[in-house]
Amino acid sequence: MDERTPITVRASQTERSERIARLVTAARQGSEAALGEIVTELSPLLWQVARATGLSVSDAEDVLQTVWMRLLDHLDDIHTSASLTAWLVTTTRRQAWRVSAAARRQLPADNEVFSMLPDQGPGSEEQVIIDDQRRILWRAIGRLSARCQELLRIIAFVPRPDYSSVAAELGMPTGSIGPTRGRCLAKLRALLAGDLEGSSQ
Amino acid sequence: MTPSDAGGITPADESMDDVDLELLDGIREVFEASDPMPVDLPERIRFRLALRGLEIEVARLVAEDNQPSLAVRGAELSRTITFDSDSLTIMIRIDPNLDGTARVDGWLAPPQRREIEMKTTAESLSVASDEQGRFAFASVPRGMAQLVVRSAESEQSGTGRSVVTPALIL
Repeated sequence: MDERTPITVRASQTERSERIARLVTAARQGSEAALGEIVTELSPLLWQVARATGLSVSDAEDVLQTVWMRLLDHLDDIHTSASLTAWLVTTTRRQAWRVSAAARRQLPADNEVFSMLPDQGPGSEEQVIIDDQRRILWRAIGRLSARCQELLRIIAFVPRPDYSSVAAELGMPTGSIGPTRGRCLAKLRALLAGDLEGSSQ
Repeated sequence: MTPSDAGGITPADESMDDVDLELLDGIREVFEASDPMPVDLPERIRFRLALRGLEIEVARLVAEDNQPSLAVRGAELSRTITFDSDSLTIMIRIDPNLDGTARVDGWLAPPQRREIEMKTTAESLSVASDEQGRFAFASVPRGMAQLVVRSAESEQSGTGRSVVTPALIL
């Protein structure tokens, strides 16, 4: 009854797009299993989108719940994997900003600016990033502008074929996403190469 | 603005080289490790989505009590949980079965015949309560579960709305 196909990461991107499109159609016709599969597949991306705005864990969970509920009213307008991903990312981001703006208004002024990444190393919890390469990458990301951090964090989780519609939805139409994304990636590459000695964002 | 091309390789994609793609893979790994989504979140979302469209009352947990189980010696506890909604009080007792599943006995107050569904991640189980409001699930898989109390089929006279409990861990 409940068939949760494990996500085969190796499945080719085109196959994936076709599969998602089929799931959307089935979900529109009321298939709970299909909807569930979409939720399982795309929630990790939406989690990063929500958390990238600085939301707490529990606020991020609420935002995801809200977004998925809202999707049900919009399934009629969504037919492709790309438009699904774009709609979900935009709606999550908007909702997350709304919630985090409301939360910030209730905080004292000195909490107003929060950095998305801690200064060094991964979160307050366990030291999960073991290998040096990852640690170096983490630090380099932390030195990017907030804008670049958010952009790269989202893009890194977006399935590649859906990339350009997500970019367009994020307010960076194809014309400008290239340079913007390129700038962020270029800066990151420079940081990793140790080229940007002491330069600020 | 909509992207001009309909779903082909985009200029943006073309301009990414292997190093960029590798970098993005690395960024994904770093965030997966440092800020992973709670593993049970999709499951909880699925629960909520499955309940859409029902005219429902949501019951809230009002009391939970753990007692050493008489059925099984050892660390396992028998739990009694009470939920309240506007129209109904639902009390359940969860006892461990020897095979690792759980037995759930329940009572509805005021007593009434209703259709009781236990949603679990694996399957949905259904039983009916008797006129004293009693019901029982002999064997429920461990993990996340949620009760839905529906109006009994036979009585069309609007015997109250469906009542759902929050998800609980058996």
